Amino acid sequence: MAVFDLPGWTGLAPALILAATALALFVVDSISPRSANRALLAGVSATGALASLAVAVWFIAAGVGQGGIDGLGVIDLFDGQFVVDAMALYFMIVVAVVTALVSVASYDYMADHTYQAEYYSLLILAATGMSTMAAANSLVTIFIALELTSLPSYALVAILKDNRGSVEAGLKYFLIGALSSAIFVYGVSLVYGATGHLQLDAIAVALEEDVADGFGGLLGLGILMLIGGFAFKTASVPFHFWAPEAYEGAPAPISAFLSSASKAAGFVIAFRVFTTAFPLEVTGELIGLDWTLAFVILAIVTMTVGNFAAATQDKVKRMLAYSSIGHAGYALIGLAGLTVDGGELVMGAAMMHLLVYGFMNTGAFLFVALAEYWGVGRTFEDYNGLANQAPVACFALGIFLFSLAGIPPLGGFWSKYFLFTGAISVGTTSMLLVAAALVVNSALSLYYYSRLVKAVWIEESVVDRDTLAQPTGLYAAIVFAAVMTVVLLPAFGPVSETAIDAAAAVI
Amino acid sequence: MSVAAGVEYYVLLSMGLFCIGLFGILTRRNALMFLMSVELMLNAANINLIAFAFYHGNLTGQVFALFTMALAAAEVAVGLGIILVLYRNFRDVDVTVPTTMRW
Repeated sequence: MAVFDLPGWTGLAPALILAATALALFVVDSISPRSANRALLAGVSATGALASLAVAVWFIAAGVGQGGIDGLGVIDLFDGQFVVDAMALYFMIVVAVVTALVSVASYDYMADHTYQAEYYSLLILAATGMSTMAAANSLVTIFIALELTSLPSYALVAILKDNRGSVEAGLKYFLIGALSSAIFVYGVSLVYGATGHLQLDAIAVALEEDVADGFGGLLGLGILMLIGGFAFKTASVPFHFWAPEAYEGAPAPISAFLSSASKAAGFVIAFRVFTTAFPLEVTGELIGLDWTLAFVILAIVTMTVGNFAAATQDKVKRMLAYSSIGHAGYALIGLAGLTVDGGELVMGAAMMHLLVYGFMNTGAFLFVALAEYWGVGRTFEDYNGLANQAPVACFALGIFLFSLAGIPPLGGFWSKYFLFTGAISVGTTSMLLVAAALVVNSALSLYYYSRLVKAVWIEESVVDRDTLAQPTGLYAAIVFAAVMTVVLLPAFGPVSETAIDAAAAVI
Repeated sequence: MSVAAGVEYYVLLSMGLFCIGLFGILTRRNALMFLMSVELMLNAANINLIAFAFYHGNLTGQVFALFTMALAAAEVAVGLGIILVLYRNFRDVDVTVPTTMRW
């Protein structure tokens, strides 16, 4: 088969294509630094993201990362520093999809910005980092990919240099990010101290060979600090408080990018580290505590904090930011539900949720981008009656919000349903609690999501508006995301199979 | 190995350094002091990595410490850029001043 004949490093092609795209954008910029050709820049970024998506889909279809007769097996690179398996490719797809949507939407949103080429190259560089995170299989490569994602993201959040909100958001994001990455590195150093290895499989082997005996405290503290690093990247409690500020102040397409792609990338490293490096049984014996317990608590607290805070917001973007924290709580169920002999169902469900979330949440934030493009204001009242002027976009918004709330038959319902049944099937008391929290929070979330739908469709506008412009790029991205949120469902069979198989492969 | 006997002293040193950094972050309001505190925390991790590299007798930790230093430098570069635009917009580098978004 074709993939087989290629050299091993081409397994990283989805990430490499993004890296090449970022460099191509620099070349375009250095050829004509003064004349910012928006269409060319946005086109190059979107094409790069779509190429990365196509290659990742092709790899999955060709059977990379699958065992058996048809499968090509897992591609192991550089002594296991990177590993390209089904889970890596799955998350590369999520990242590429969100990047493509955001690039297309930015064409209109960033139209007046001075530093066009810088914006797009930072965007694609951050996407490169996320794509690399999906395949990273050692604490070294994970940290480097994490920073490759974070550094451009800080700059992107603060890119509206004369806008106080954007600068403030950038500062807060940077401060919390720098703190959490310092904590993460310290955690890495403690894990290294206990086991003597940084490569994830080697850590697991060292734990099983009792190298770390007597270092239980060190290891436990290290794991706790690693969780801190993941919590920052996924915007979960206790490192969630940057999210509302950063998402609110950042340009809306960047909020979409960070809350969907960055979150998914944070989850893939959390999944990989905890399933590969810290086998439940030995780690539990060593530190005297089951690490899934930490995720049970984090999942419940995160979803509750996110949803309750979202219900009290007046500003739409801030509401979506808190709802994104709530959804991080749902995805954390994937780690909370791991057991010694299984858990692929919950983890697969969490992966499905992150894919659907990539469409519906990106779409919702892009609608906010559209509203900011129109200049209608930030609160729920400002959105009143928008459906009269822009029915198509508002219909799409309804799809996103009901899907986020988990109304059947939309994408969000199915992924939540899988999460719920997965949590129930584990059957422990703590997982039943998690499942109950999921249901209660979803019910609560319906309140504030439908509040926005009501504002847009039912309320009368408080101000007279002229007809609103229909920017092509933003509309295209929103409509595509809405179609995918709906269409993913009939196609859910293969998606869920891929996700559960990918999860089963790493456990 | 003779160094191995003293590895706990290195860990104590690094923990002290880490806590000083954390204390600085929690108490200082100046964004530049914040950056310095983060550097302390990162270097605490470096001390750990190098001490443990001796203890375990492999070079992985030392190599990772090099990576950490490079990334810390990159982080400071981005951070200083953000602090610069912060100063331009708010005429101050006090991290408690920008509160346009508090609800």
